[in-house]
Amino acid sequence: MSANRWLATGNYFATYKEEQRIFFTHTDRLIFSFFLVCVFVWPLVFETNNKYMLVVDNILIAMIAVLGLNMVTGFAGLISIGHAAFVGVGAYAVASVSRVMGNDYIFLTHAWPLMILLSGFIGAVFGAMVGLPAFRLKHLYLAIATLSFQMIFQWAINFMEFFNQGQTIYVGRAFWFTGEVGRNEHYIFWYYVILVILVLMGFMVRNILRTRFGRCLIAVRDNDRAADAMGMHPGLTKVYAFGLAGFFAGVAGALHAYLYRGVGVESFTLHHSITYLAMAIVGGLGTLNGSFWGPMAIKILELQVEKIAEHAGEIFPASTNLATALRPLSFGLVIVLFLMFEPRGIANWWRITRSYFKLWPFRY
Amino acid sequence: MTYLTVSDVTLSFGGLKALSNVNLKIQPNLITSIIGPNGAGKTSLLNCVSGFYHPSSGEIHFGGQRLTHASPHQVSKMGIARAFQNLELFRGLSVLDNLLLARHKDLKYNFFQAVIYAGKASRVEAENRQYVEEVIDFMELEPYRKRLVGNLSYGVQKRVEVARALTLSPKVLLLDEPMAGMNIEEKEDIVRFIMDIQNERNITVVLVEHDLGVVMDISNQIYVLDFGELIGSGTPEEVASNPKVIEAYIGEE
Repeated sequence: MSANRWLATGNYFATYKEEQRIFFTHTDRLIFSFFLVCVFVWPLVFETNNKYMLVVDNILIAMIAVLGLNMVTGFAGLISIGHAAFVGVGAYAVASVSRVMGNDYIFLTHAWPLMILLSGFIGAVFGAMVGLPAFRLKHLYLAIATLSFQMIFQWAINFMEFFNQGQTIYVGRAFWFTGEVGRNEHYIFWYYVILVILVLMGFMVRNILRTRFGRCLIAVRDNDRAADAMGMHPGLTKVYAFGLAGFFAGVAGALHAYLYRGVGVESFTLHHSITYLAMAIVGGLGTLNGSFWGPMAIKILELQVEKIAEHAGEIFPASTNLATALRPLSFGLVIVLFLMFEPRGIANWWRITRSYFKLWPFRY
Repeated sequence: MTYLTVSDVTLSFGGLKALSNVNLKIQPNLITSIIGPNGAGKTSLLNCVSGFYHPSSGEIHFGGQRLTHASPHQVSKMGIARAFQNLELFRGLSVLDNLLLARHKDLKYNFFQAVIYAGKASRVEAENRQYVEEVIDFMELEPYRKRLVGNLSYGVQKRVEVARALTLSPKVLLLDEPMAGMNIEEKEDIVRFIMDIQNERNITVVLVEHDLGVVMDISNQIYVLDFGELIGSGTPEEVASNPKVIEAYIGEE
């Protein structure tokens, strides 16, 4: 009897190939495809403006960065407080080309997919380099090593003439088959580019996680003595985890540079590193879908708090200081609340909701 | 023919000598046991062989290869697997994933094939899943296949530990007190598994164990350690009648 592939009620796998599937039923696959189509189509259906597209683009870029952070911190269990610096490395890779060859250099404007890929690899190299202390250091000491990279990065950018001392370095407009991408289409164009890259990277992570290259990360996190006895080099595995995180961050950085058409050091500070970490925690460390929930939740929270702060400023003009303090305050509060009440993050809510709908109308 | 040789191994931590001039000759396809009172250096010896410690002096050879200074992952690639005394499992993963992790070195595909997955990576994964299933079948772990290791009972976790070492497809299996803290029934199970591992899979077993009854019953060869020194060796009968061994275990009259 061939199993019902639409509404399977149990495990009917007959081969190990079937067990490898990402989507167990056709229904799952259909829902996911429908969701993807929606994500691609909505900007065409609804009226969008540049302000909101910028926010959406930002969220997607953060998702790419957090995917990488989740590999190193969530799956490999190595706290990285320098993730914004890796994103910065990607962005400054683009900026360097613009600085040396001029911001309208053809490689920058026409071959931007290659540039993005190149930034990813440069990010990976830096990531692996920063991961080298993992051969000797563990836990918090390693976290401090990554923090030091964050500091070195900021200082290097701020003091080097080549990087315009942290001031904005402009990047030219990208070209598509239809010619230069103009001001009006800019955000919508990059929305699609980032989305395609995000989907590809999502599947990339999914595939890594079901092969030995993902399992070794989890092994090193859970028990690196045993991982060693199982034939994995724990040090190299950790360096590889940092390299992987660096790659994702580098890609995110390059996209950031193109989206803002410029690179300044203020987007890659320690504050941003902590924010990425918060996104990973709120989304759910060590889960794939957490990397999507976290950035969305934190960015939307930031927006709402800003709105409230604005209103508060109008009503109580004397207490604007209070309003500006509202943002870090709410941010910190959310992280603390999540750590206390839902350490497994929003991904856990997603898991509970899913299993509820799967089992409905039964309780368990 | 000797297979795994430990010659004149001394291990010292500062002034403390954990092992002094220990010599072992382990024959292929036999069960060799290492016994001794608490703190005799049994686990230290296993740690030396499996690469977690490196001897201060002396040599360890395995089938012509020198593994005195090899690290654990190199040792495991040579075909020496190790089951730990204090469960060193990946607690957050299922039994299946724990065993799949042990296939790490046998999964022959590169990173880009893994990212694409379809094709080689998928095929190799399926083949290894088959291999893991054979081990699950062999160790009778079917009911726990998808359960989280951290939630299983101690006895089952010990069995997973042995199964994971077995999944490495080793030539030599080092078992560090696989029966510690178990009841009679669970001990009988493990003993049966150890004998099956030796008979059916032709794997050399090195057993460190406190339960002398079990050791005397199943071992082909026994080495006795006391305070880091080898005080006796031979067949179970020889060891049982060795006055030095009796003295170490029971004391002087």
